[in-house]
Amino acid sequence: MDDKLVYVDNNATTPVAPEVFEAMTPFLTTEYFNPSSMYEPARRTAVAMARARETVARCLGGVAPNQIVFTSCATESNNAAIFGTVKANPQRRHILTTAVEHPAVLEVCKDLQRNGYDVTFLPVDGHGNLDLRQFIRALRPDTLLVTIMHGNNETGVIFPIEQLSRVTKETDPSIVFHTDATQTVGKLPIDLTDAFRHVDLLSFSGHKFHAPKGVGVLYIKRGTPCRPYMIGGHQEQGRRAGTENVAFIVGLAKAMELAFENMEEDEARIGAMRDRLEQAILDQIPCVQVNGRGAPRLPNTLNVSCHYVEGEGMLYQLSDAGICASSGSACTSGSLEPSHVLKALNVPFTAVHGSIRFSLSRYNTDEEVDRIVDVFPKVVANLRRLSPYWDAKKNAPRPDAEELIGQNPSVSGAAG
Amino acid sequence: MAWQYSEKTKQLFMDAVHGKPGTHLGEIENPDGFGEHGSIACGDAMRFTFRVKRHPTDPTKDVITEARYLTFGCTSAIASSEGLCTLIERGRYTPIEALKITNKDIIEFLGGLPEQKIHCSVMGAEALEAAVFNWAQRRGVDLKALGIDIHAHEQEEGRIVCKCFSLTEPYLRRKIRELNLRTIPEITNAVKAGGACMSCHHAPGGLQDLLDEIWGKQPSQLPVLPAAPPRPLEPSVEARKSDGRTALSPYQFAKRVEKVMDEYVRPMLRRDGGDVEIVDIKDHIVYCQLGGRCQGCAGASQTLKMMIERTLKDMVDERIRVVEV
Repeated sequence: MDDKLVYVDNNATTPVAPEVFEAMTPFLTTEYFNPSSMYEPARRTAVAMARARETVARCLGGVAPNQIVFTSCATESNNAAIFGTVKANPQRRHILTTAVEHPAVLEVCKDLQRNGYDVTFLPVDGHGNLDLRQFIRALRPDTLLVTIMHGNNETGVIFPIEQLSRVTKETDPSIVFHTDATQTVGKLPIDLTDAFRHVDLLSFSGHKFHAPKGVGVLYIKRGTPCRPYMIGGHQEQGRRAGTENVAFIVGLAKAMELAFENMEEDEARIGAMRDRLEQAILDQIPCVQVNGRGAPRLPNTLNVSCHYVEGEGMLYQLSDAGICASSGSACTSGSLEPSHVLKALNVPFTAVHGSIRFSLSRYNTDEEVDRIVDVFPKVVANLRRLSPYWDAKKNAPRPDAEELIGQNPSVSGAAG
Repeated sequence: MAWQYSEKTKQLFMDAVHGKPGTHLGEIENPDGFGEHGSIACGDAMRFTFRVKRHPTDPTKDVITEARYLTFGCTSAIASSEGLCTLIERGRYTPIEALKITNKDIIEFLGGLPEQKIHCSVMGAEALEAAVFNWAQRRGVDLKALGIDIHAHEQEEGRIVCKCFSLTEPYLRRKIRELNLRTIPEITNAVKAGGACMSCHHAPGGLQDLLDEIWGKQPSQLPVLPAAPPRPLEPSVEARKSDGRTALSPYQFAKRVEKVMDEYVRPMLRRDGGDVEIVDIKDHIVYCQLGGRCQGCAGASQTLKMMIERTLKDMVDERIRVVEV
């Protein structure tokens, strides 16, 4: 069964690349030394760490390697960036972020809000875009931090971080600009010495681009007021205490190298597969909408909402057919609320529970896309036969279902 | 999050979606009983219909021969619907007997449900109750006269406690008793109340208050600590040292507080049409009165107090406390 598995949940995590595994193996076996130790063998691990740091710095546009801090994951990087900045700037009380951030940023901001900080959560429009004028108006003399994600994990919508960071810094250079680039590193070019030079802090993790889970990066531009979050050791120049996870750091650097070597080629191929899948779904399934379609999007992400059906039932059938995807429905979220991102996009309530996210990687093939195109329309049809809002004979919503909506949702039918 | 479903639940779901013979998917035309529960906005909804073999003289002896459902919801919601219909048809119940089927029977039939999915089985039992109520109206059966307490209509009436799922106080009170729900998580798992924004958990008249009223106030799990003894207002020598600041005279201190208020606090408040006045400063307690639009706004005052206090703590002295007058 496993050799037939179609894994299209790469925004959740990715398989470890064989080359990465190979690069890591020595540090899990013979090269076990603590890079802080003084004897000769330990120096080898220290050198491996330094090389990894150089690789990461090079892939981010050739920044100075000492600005790269290794962490345990993107969530840690985000926590460190936000809490660290807040701690270093006690005289300012305002934080600017968006309503569609990953919980690793959103919940941290809400925590600060509960502690008396003033937080602005910028809304997005129906496509998932920010309004730049609204952004500028939201900047305040007491703004200490702007934290806005680069690519959205659910919809793949990309925010113009180049522009937002520049506007922020030109308005007030003391405001710290942080971006969570977890979904975009390895997929989009990020040049921290050029277009992204105004970014002060940038976080990401390795497992979204074929490194293992458990290793992340926080880029801290020199001079950024940001206090360490993990304290208790001199590692990472005192900016992140804790014995370095050498094997995983080496793995992350290797994965980054691989991603950046073939980025243009890979992303073009992935984008073509995504577009084909998207078109097939729009052609074959009535009453579906592609979330974020009117905004710039990551080439690998497709988020579709099928009206009048619930996501978990779709995932279950897909899984039965060997296809791994994810959903923003309440039943899959662990809480009883559907995705905050889709709600921010004002996805109509008939569709917010019926969202499915397909996210591809360089290991997906055209044959796999064919499999999804073959299976997915049947999955939706099966559930619609059971739905109290669907007329199975006409293969359309029941007349009273239309009444139920009342507020004319932007349903893009087969015509898309 | 991967749910752990029983084999039976998975099988019922797959049979239903593939329309296997013997499943109960569908809607009976001109049914003898019709009930709905849930809504698409909440993430699950069920339409339940049944047909009876009518008794020639006594409608209370009607026997349910056929039960069908249409369900919008997750794997376990669909399996629960399937379970309900199977239980009813198998038992050859009268509608009144069918009322004895509870969500627990459905869970048992499914071979268990994850806790977070209990509400799926409750939905089935609710839709059944609504359908029996509907049957009684059609057949002219006076349920009340038979001593049967039907509540299916209650959900619509009464004060809304959980806004996210539009659940009323009478409904929640009944469910807390019927299902013997003792904690807020149990309520959420069973009927979803409090599962989204959570603001009704400890609000006055919220879920905890309902639980306390129904079951009696549980002894608080955390001992209530006596209030901390008042700290001496004069800092110790060590505190001054670690502070890195030389102590301010009361005049300097008051002046600095006024300055911080002018430069930071007031501009922020005024942007929203509010203001703040310092009534008095005594030692390290700053007494303030909120003015303008802040006045009388209960929600704002706590936040504002914290904001002012935090700002003064950061800018003037860590020991400052703000007291709203």
